[in-house]
Amino acid sequence: MFITEMKEGQGGTIVSVLGGRMAVKRLADLGLTPGTQFKVLRKIRPYGPIEIEARGSNIVLGRGIALKIQIETK
Amino acid sequence: MKKLDIVLAGQANVGKSVIFNHLTGLHQHIGNWPGKTIEKAEGNLFYKGYSFHILDLPGIYSLTSYSAEELISREYIILQEPDLIINVTDATNLERNLLFTLQLLELEKPLVLALNMMDLAKKKGIEIDVKELGKILGVPIAETVASRRYGLTEVLDHAIELQTKKPVFKGFKYGKEVESRIEKLTGILQGSDLTYPVRWLSIKLLEKDEKVEKILQEIHPEIIETAEKLCAELEEIHGHDSSILMADERCHLVSHIIKNAVKIIKPQKKSFNEKLDDITSDKVFGYPVMLIILVMMFLAIFTFGNWLSSRMDLVTDKLQNWWETSVDPSLFTSLAFAALESTLALVQLALPYILPFYILLYFLEDGGYLARISFLTDHVMHKVGVHGKACIPLFLGFGCNVPACLAARIMETERERFITGFLTTLVPCSAVTVIIIGLTGKYLGIGWAFGLYVFAILVVFLMGRLATKIIPGEATELIMMMPDYKRPQLRTIFLQTWFRLKEFIWIAAPLVIISGIIIEGIYAAGWLSSIANGLYPLTVKWLGLPVMTGIVLIFGILRKELILVMLVTLYGTNDFSQILSPVQMITLALVCMFYIPCIATIAALWKEFGWKKALGISVIEISFAVLIAGLAARILKAFL
Repeated sequence: MFITEMKEGQGGTIVSVLGGRMAVKRLADLGLTPGTQFKVLRKIRPYGPIEIEARGSNIVLGRGIALKIQIETK
Repeated sequence: MKKLDIVLAGQANVGKSVIFNHLTGLHQHIGNWPGKTIEKAEGNLFYKGYSFHILDLPGIYSLTSYSAEELISREYIILQEPDLIINVTDATNLERNLLFTLQLLELEKPLVLALNMMDLAKKKGIEIDVKELGKILGVPIAETVASRRYGLTEVLDHAIELQTKKPVFKGFKYGKEVESRIEKLTGILQGSDLTYPVRWLSIKLLEKDEKVEKILQEIHPEIIETAEKLCAELEEIHGHDSSILMADERCHLVSHIIKNAVKIIKPQKKSFNEKLDDITSDKVFGYPVMLIILVMMFLAIFTFGNWLSSRMDLVTDKLQNWWETSVDPSLFTSLAFAALESTLALVQLALPYILPFYILLYFLEDGGYLARISFLTDHVMHKVGVHGKACIPLFLGFGCNVPACLAARIMETERERFITGFLTTLVPCSAVTVIIIGLTGKYLGIGWAFGLYVFAILVVFLMGRLATKIIPGEATELIMMMPDYKRPQLRTIFLQTWFRLKEFIWIAAPLVIISGIIIEGIYAAGWLSSIANGLYPLTVKWLGLPVMTGIVLIFGILRKELILVMLVTLYGTNDFSQILSPVQMITLALVCMFYIPCIATIAALWKEFGWKKALGISVIEISFAVLIAGLAARILKAFL
């Protein structure tokens, strides 16, 4: 399942990122590594970005990157 | 006097530049890193018998070799050997901030940690055991509230103290599997003459850092192979790329530190910030709110701008009258007056329009609203080929293309910066708006003016798509920290505005004044009409405009507002319907909208992207304007 399929308010854990090294690196910089828990705060539908909360910070992810983040829901 | 070289390092939005501004005040110099569109801010400060030289590094999240900002930062820290690092962190987001702190500590330079936004942290129910945190990290910590200047002297005191006390680098231990491999690599590197810390090099080898591999390739070719083998082993064990594994290890270390030093008691009630975000970031309400804020901002700027500008006109007129009556006309005096006039024209643009624009923009930025705009507009910006952050420079472009072009620096990659910078020059700025409204709006109806405006925005879209197709490289996605709302700090806003305004004048003034003198020289030499005649095939034949517009368009390069003013002077009437037919009005407006970034914008493009790209953009835009306006003239003739 990917982060884009989640609902607002839903929590989950990152399983892996299916992106290039640059994308993986930028996510890791913000503490978004496999195993990280997060919560979806809000989404701009249908093609907009997603705002999540992880490690005490709010992070906005463009849809293109969100489509590459594989997750598990709680 | 003893000198102290200090770098300020920290992630974006942690209040680093606020601290920098408070420490250095007006004693700062903002420029670019050599050959890069990355800002370099330096400043000086005297405190307790020390002369501090402070360099504000770009806001970055790690020290890899992926981005120019990060490379510049780490090379500066390692190779320029500053006396110490002040690491500014956001206490409300400590976990994420410490990820970067750990990487700074690996550089083995003396470091003072500034725990900023302590007041907000307390409000959010975050309790930080500062003593414990200092013990774990092995660095002195100062609690600060930068916006209220609280704790800044403590930071400096710690910095001075560190000069006499040699710090001991604790070095954090990663997991066993990683640590044993780091040891293997340090074993090989030990004893060789390296500028870089050995442990740091080893860690970077496991992260597959290309820059470090290149450095070591020359000194220790065999170590690359060993490192590759070790990385492969790690990947075998964990199933992830070793660079991800290292990031993951760091996250674990930080989680552990947080567990020991931080307690969070989350308040039950929704915070003010969350409530505000429920409206301003909402997928429905967010947009009308944004629209209202932006429209109000523009109304305020144009109302104020037009008022002040008309006041300044009176002064310029008086000056001109005085000059004409009391100075003997000669070639020299008319050239001198051209220089004076260009300078005044620049001031007349900067004070009424650019100044309030900057103040309001930094007000929104400092308060945290600009990040919400990026969030709300990301998907629209994607249609242009860039992501949400580009909204800010493009939006600035409606005021003036010069600051807009400079604001393209906020984009992550060189490619994005260039595309965004290019697109800002196509946005109809306040001067172009005056032409659109004053010409088509006044004589053909507001519908035509609106139509042209929409067309301009359409062109930005199309050019954006085209540029992202043609220019090689991958598009970056929006990955952005969403800062909390906070009360904007007037001092920060005014300082930022002041430095930007200064930058604008420095960039624009030389070219504006010189070209003003040149054009006056051409006029004095009596070449103007021959140039106008030379442009005949273009202006009359292709565009169907009166021959005099050739002259007007040349002056328009200086400042597009001059176009209408010149028409009035040349024809001696301000009723444009007597000079131009409706088709000609639209054709002229179209040429003005696209034909060239004005001279000040060309200067900004030159500074940011080099003269070749500045020239390229100018040529493309002239050709485009001529082509589109000529076609429009032919099509419109059939209807009007």
